[in-house]
Amino acid sequence: MFDLLAQTGLNALYAASYISLVAVGLVLIFGVMGVVNFAHGELFMAGAYVVVALYAGGGAPFLLAVAAGLGFVGLLGLLMEFALFRPLRDNPLGGLVASIGFLMILQATAVMGFGVRMEHIPPVTQEVIAFSEKVRLPMSRLYVIVAAVVLLGALWYFLKRTRFGWALRASAQDAEAAALQGISIGQTARIAMFIGAGLAGVAGALTAPLVSVNPHMGHSVIVTAFIVIIVGGVGSLEGAVVASVAYAFVHTLVTTFWDGVIADIVGLSLMLVVLIVKPTGLFGTADRA
Amino acid sequence: MPRTVLLVILWAAVAAVLVALPHALSFSQQEILVFMTINLLVVASYRLLTLTGEWSLGHVVIVGVGAYASALYTKELGIPVPVSMLLGACTSALIAMGLSYPLFRMKGFYFLIGSFAAGEIIRLLWKRFREPFGGPKGIKGIDPMPDFSIGIWDFDFFEPVSYYYFAGAVVALCLWLLWRIERSPVGLTFHAVHWQDKLAQSAGVNVRAYRTLAFVVASGFAGLAGALGAHYIGTINPNGFDVETMVFVLTWTIVGGTATFYGPLMGCIALTVLNEIVLREMGFEQMRPLIYGAVLILSILFLPKGLESLVQKLVKPRRVEP
Amino acid sequence: MNPFLEIDRLTMRFGGLTAVDGLSFTVEHGAIHGLIGPNGAGKTTTFNAISGFYRPSGGEVRLRGEVISGLSMHEVARRGVIRTFQHSTLFAEMTVLENALMGTHMAFRPNVFAAIVGWDREDRRGAYARAVEALEFFGLEGLRGERAGDLAHGHQRALGMAIAYAAHPDVVLLDEPFTGMNPEETTRMMELMRKLRDSGVTILIVEHDMHAIMGLCDRITCMSFGKLLAEGGPAEIRSHPDVIEAYLGGARHVS
Ligand SMILES: Nc1ncnc2c1ncn2[C@@H]1O[C@H](COP(=O)(O)OP(=O)(O)OP(=O)(O)O)[C@@H](O)[C@H]1O
Ligand SMILES: [Mg+2]
Repeated sequence: MFDLLAQTGLNALYAASYISLVAVGLVLIFGVMGVVNFAHGELFMAGAYVVVALYAGGGAPFLLAVAAGLGFVGLLGLLMEFALFRPLRDNPLGGLVASIGFLMILQATAVMGFGVRMEHIPPVTQEVIAFSEKVRLPMSRLYVIVAAVVLLGALWYFLKRTRFGWALRASAQDAEAAALQGISIGQTARIAMFIGAGLAGVAGALTAPLVSVNPHMGHSVIVTAFIVIIVGGVGSLEGAVVASVAYAFVHTLVTTFWDGVIADIVGLSLMLVVLIVKPTGLFGTADRA
Repeated sequence: MPRTVLLVILWAAVAAVLVALPHALSFSQQEILVFMTINLLVVASYRLLTLTGEWSLGHVVIVGVGAYASALYTKELGIPVPVSMLLGACTSALIAMGLSYPLFRMKGFYFLIGSFAAGEIIRLLWKRFREPFGGPKGIKGIDPMPDFSIGIWDFDFFEPVSYYYFAGAVVALCLWLLWRIERSPVGLTFHAVHWQDKLAQSAGVNVRAYRTLAFVVASGFAGLAGALGAHYIGTINPNGFDVETMVFVLTWTIVGGTATFYGPLMGCIALTVLNEIVLREMGFEQMRPLIYGAVLILSILFLPKGLESLVQKLVKPRRVEP
Repeated sequence: MNPFLEIDRLTMRFGGLTAVDGLSFTVEHGAIHGLIGPNGAGKTTTFNAISGFYRPSGGEVRLRGEVISGLSMHEVARRGVIRTFQHSTLFAEMTVLENALMGTHMAFRPNVFAAIVGWDREDRRGAYARAVEALEFFGLEGLRGERAGDLAHGHQRALGMAIAYAAHPDVVLLDEPFTGMNPEETTRMMELMRKLRDSGVTILIVEHDMHAIMGLCDRITCMSFGKLLAEGGPAEIRSHPDVIEAYLGGARHVS
């Protein structure tokens, strides 16, 4: 029993690390741009395909492929900002719809480029840390956890300690006021989109060898991310991280003891309860609806 | 009087075209026509819901509730098909009534996400419970509409043309009902709740009750659409009512525009023709979602008020007088 | 006999800020009662608490002895208390006539089934007649086809009142009805309000135009920083030292 719980905990930790990367990106984009980016799951998928192309297909080192995933998907984010969200700045529903269009384009591109079948990527490492007979953490999962901690730490430093980070947080609070302080809305929007999308991309890239990569993998990711940002509070980055961890534990636990569909139902029900009881989320204060 | 005469002639002409239409189409196009007819009811009911200003992501699941309910009523209880369809519609309305209690504590973005969660939970229940919902594979061998004949006309409802006439008549009736509702004081109150719920309340409008009313009525019609579809296709499964399908409904509605009754209908027709007929004929099988996505983006960028705004420019809207 | 409209130790707190602080006053039936005070005194907040927009943090509002505070806005409205809003709050996308029709909601309650079957002809006709009457009362009948959002400011204020009037209120709460009106319009509107009062409607009015308030009101309540400052007839209030002090020095900010 203890073994099972410990193993579940490790699995949850792994899930929490990539979920929080995705969710934090989504919150950042929502905070600064004011749009719900429905294509966020497909940005994750795009990151995974960069690894498929460069690492599995091109033989590039894994880390390089991951970095390329971050950069490439970050650029996709810039493209979205430029082509969709900037022209639709006064039309939040329009931004949402446009992101749905972008999602379809990304999906179709993946289907055309790689086919609908699942991609099998050679594992980065076969090593496993065995805490006991039954409690084991594959090295490749540990890499994801470490990378998530490092990236989120870097983001935290950037947001709290640098001028741009300060500008970003200010414009997430109040874009007009931030603009009056001499911070260009366009610049903060571009930074937020690059980082937000890049985080989704890097999450997809990191997990690519561990999951089945396919053009429709973004769907479950975006659903999870929505649950997490609602539970954590729509405007709150810290909330997103905490909620990711909490959600990952609950979901993994329920999956282990019942099954995955029940776990999904439990997750969605949790979100519904939070929406009913405290729509601003457990950690959120700002009401941006 | 001449205006009335003109209108009668116009509508008669429209009806004649609609009756003749399937005979000008290939078999697969006839099937698409049936689905499109049913989808017209889905988008029209969706518009009724959006009249009060709330956008739901659970509407397709409500369509599915009608489909599952009607299929199960015939299968498990042996209720004859046309009756089960109506019961399916009622079931959707009832479920919507139940959902309205938690959901209408939310507004705007939260309602959007909340409706998604509620719908997804229902869908996952279908997927999880083999009894009675059939699990991931869904329900197969759903009873079709029984054949019948009026005088010289025989209707075999496996034939798309026959089913098109049946579904077309039902949908036309429903659209007429929806239109009556929208043009009534009730519809005006829906608009009022949308534009200024505070002012509406201060005039004595129970805003929550009106939101619920719109949601329940829209869901009833959506459920009927689901039942119409289920008894034609003969099989349903949870994936048929997932969020991707919802995205299509959302897209039809937005590309068409929601300011008018006909906007979402235009969106549904235009995009269905584009997606199913033009792109298919041109052989862009894999590229269809890509082009579809691009059309979505282009229309929201360059035609933010929808296709209806093109029509509105041509015809000055007339205002309601009793 | 109970007083008509009674505000009893009404308190409204927002976090740390107490916007209305134990305010009490009564409004006589058939009176035009003014509520004045410097900017930020808590007048709109008082209106919001009376009309059910806010649930008061403390105290009660009673109408004919019945407690109405804590009810939701439409329930308060159904008891005959109709309010207008400080900023031109209208159904901007709808026509002037449709706006007025919304005011008739309570008298001619719409019904889906009747509407579909066509059994609501009588009601529709009645609502239409009432709406037109309200527009005529406020001199807006010529504009009935216009989009409400396109109206001039003064007309928008008048339309806000027409909606309230169409609802057959017992009490109307008017929040700064004269802003955006030129002197002639204001004078005409004052005349209309007297007519409204004479038809049996009690009026509680917030207004910064002192000329209008003094000329119109039977009784005036002056508040400052959420508290009652003075109460009396126009002459008393005009010469009340505390009131003069509040308006000259005590205001937090001047408009
Ligand atoms: N929803 C709210 N949340 C927090 N504070 C509020 C809220 N509404 C009003 N206040 C505060 O309460 C105080 C009273 O505001 P109120 O609008 O009632 O003043 P007022 O007398 O109507 O002023 P004016 O003449 O400018 O309209 C102000 O300090 C205002 O900032
Ligand atoms: Mg005020």
